[in-house]
Amino acid sequence: MSKKNMKLEVPKPLDAQEVLKEKIPPEMFEQVAGEKIFDQEIEGEAIGFFKDAYLRFKKNKAAIGAAWIILFIIFMAIFGPMMSPYHFREQHTSFGTMPPRIPILENFGIADGCVTMDIFEADLEEFGDAVKEIKSEYIWNYKGREIKKVIADIDMYEYKDAKEHYFIFGTDNIGRDLFVRLWRGTRISLLIGFISVMINCVIGVTYGSISGYYGGKVDMVMQRFAEILGGIPFLVMSILFIMVLGAGVSSFILVLIITGWIGMSRMIRAQFYRYKDYEYVMASRTMGAKDRTLIFRHILPNAIGPIITQATFAVPSAIFSESFLSYLGLGIQAPEPSIGVLLAEGQRVLTSSPHLTLFPALVVSALMLAFNMFGNGLRDAFDPRMRGL
Amino acid sequence: MLKYILKRVVAMAITLFIIISLSFFAIRLIPGDIAGENAAPEIKAAMEARYHLDKPLGEQYAIFIKNFLSFDFGESMTLYPRRPVFTIIKDKIPLTLMLNVFSLCLTVPVGLICGIAAALKKNTIIDHTISAMVVFNVSVPAFVFASLLQYVFAYRLGWFPFLLNLDATFSFSKFVSMILPILALSFGGIATITRYMRAELFEALNSEYMLLSKAKGLSKVQSTLRHALRNSFIPLCNVIIPMFMGLLGGSMVVENIFGIPGIGSLTAASIQTSDYYLTIAVLFFYSIIGLTSMLLVDLSYGIVDPRIRIGGGKVRE
Repeated sequence: MSKKNMKLEVPKPLDAQEVLKEKIPPEMFEQVAGEKIFDQEIEGEAIGFFKDAYLRFKKNKAAIGAAWIILFIIFMAIFGPMMSPYHFREQHTSFGTMPPRIPILENFGIADGCVTMDIFEADLEEFGDAVKEIKSEYIWNYKGREIKKVIADIDMYEYKDAKEHYFIFGTDNIGRDLFVRLWRGTRISLLIGFISVMINCVIGVTYGSISGYYGGKVDMVMQRFAEILGGIPFLVMSILFIMVLGAGVSSFILVLIITGWIGMSRMIRAQFYRYKDYEYVMASRTMGAKDRTLIFRHILPNAIGPIITQATFAVPSAIFSESFLSYLGLGIQAPEPSIGVLLAEGQRVLTSSPHLTLFPALVVSALMLAFNMFGNGLRDAFDPRMRGL
Repeated sequence: MLKYILKRVVAMAITLFIIISLSFFAIRLIPGDIAGENAAPEIKAAMEARYHLDKPLGEQYAIFIKNFLSFDFGESMTLYPRRPVFTIIKDKIPLTLMLNVFSLCLTVPVGLICGIAAALKKNTIIDHTISAMVVFNVSVPAFVFASLLQYVFAYRLGWFPFLLNLDATFSFSKFVSMILPILALSFGGIATITRYMRAELFEALNSEYMLLSKAKGLSKVQSTLRHALRNSFIPLCNVIIPMFMGLLGGSMVVENIFGIPGIGSLTAASIQTSDYYLTIAVLFFYSIIGLTSMLLVDLSYGIVDPRIRIGGGKVRE
């Protein structure tokens, strides 16, 4: 068939003005459908977006558990230091590196302030009553001399005359209470995590919205900028900044912000690319909605689930970055502790006082694990299609 | 394609330029005097002349950039006094490289196998175990894991030496002493690969071409090996290429814990002793590795997957 034959007769569209000019009396209109609507009435309560997500979240046992762990750690980070009679910088120089001793548990032989030591038999008297149990005796051959040695459980609290003290998680080398320092450190780590993530969210959402909504040249320029900035390795950027600014809470937050918002902005931009052509957006635009209305009322709310999920995942990675940098010696300055600083201090004396590594490691791992599980739960709740991926 | 490559290379060059500029300003802004506070004026003048501090700022900047691009990073100040930074780094590379190659030989196969197993046996006990392991691996920081390994296996059980054996020749005892660092280095990577592999393979298995291959009469093994696996490998280059490139970067913390005199512990030591020229050179080295791996990922993506979306106006035409 040639193209000429395909020409269709297009009826001339009615001119709106002409239609209006024609006066039609109301009697000529006739109601087609009955007044009553025969659809089945909707029963039950309407379930909104958040309620729906909450109902789904509630079924996820692991996520609920994780939420409780997070709440517990936050609670302890706020009130933990107040529960102890000690202050985070209070030094008990005579009670350095005391093992943990917890009031009720000590009766069961756990955390009773005892240390297993390898000592000369001749020194046993010096320890006196502090020796709780002699586990084994052996003879040490030192340059042809035979020296008697024993492996014994020694109650450090008795030995150092500190029976009235209970250092729940033990003390560090200058006798600062680890319990207080740990929760205070957790507080600082959480603070750095939360504040940096909140600022990143604001910057990322704004940047991604503008870039994704306007597209074209604006998008290209903004994306190139983000790309170039994002190309700088995090480690390089953070070490340079901290070298100049000095370590502190605010410089940590700054370092986490400089490139931290890029991930969020990419996600938001993708959301805008996905939704900006939808019919409902077009309808709203046709009805004269301004750009601002379209962005904030019509498109951005679609992204609320992913924003919350991504922010949740960003908190543990901020905490991780903080402890990693502290570990490298770029940590918060003494005497203020953070989890990373405590871990770095503990690592140096890992074999002689493992409790200094154990407790911070437990808290940081629990925190990261809980945030990851919680984030997984949120993701599944907000977007069931992603479940298990 | 050429235009795309060019665009990426230009972006990379700008990033590198920004990094060098940041390094320059960092060096200039760090509080403290280069010659020390109580240095005699002659020493101070000599030091300033040596590090070009007596010249105007613009000229200093030009010299700095020129030196960096010709890999002349100056001399170490405190850690290895008067040795050129470039040779220090060069000496440290082999050990880090060796450890990381070993860890990669463990990471990639184990990660792939775990990921494939989890995706094929989805929602069974195997999948749940592997997923739990992944969440654990992702959540426990590598330095905590390294400390744990060291305390349990080296100190308590005594199965492995506490620190790395630094013999010049490669022996069995040296290999044994490398096992713990290798495990610690592989820890995070395995989880990452497993997670990606599982997600990609699972998606591929549920796609329509798998239905087609089943309809064609391929057996499950055939269709999985020839279609699903191949397609799910494409996005993995996003993870594996940076790992290959990250070889040289090594892990600072793991090297520190196990006393490995590699690039990572060099970085940490240079930070702790305020050896700024050394720190900045190492950071520059890391930047080049990072940028190259990003470029490779982008290029491989462009080749493997031509569906990269660029541009688009406010409303799609």
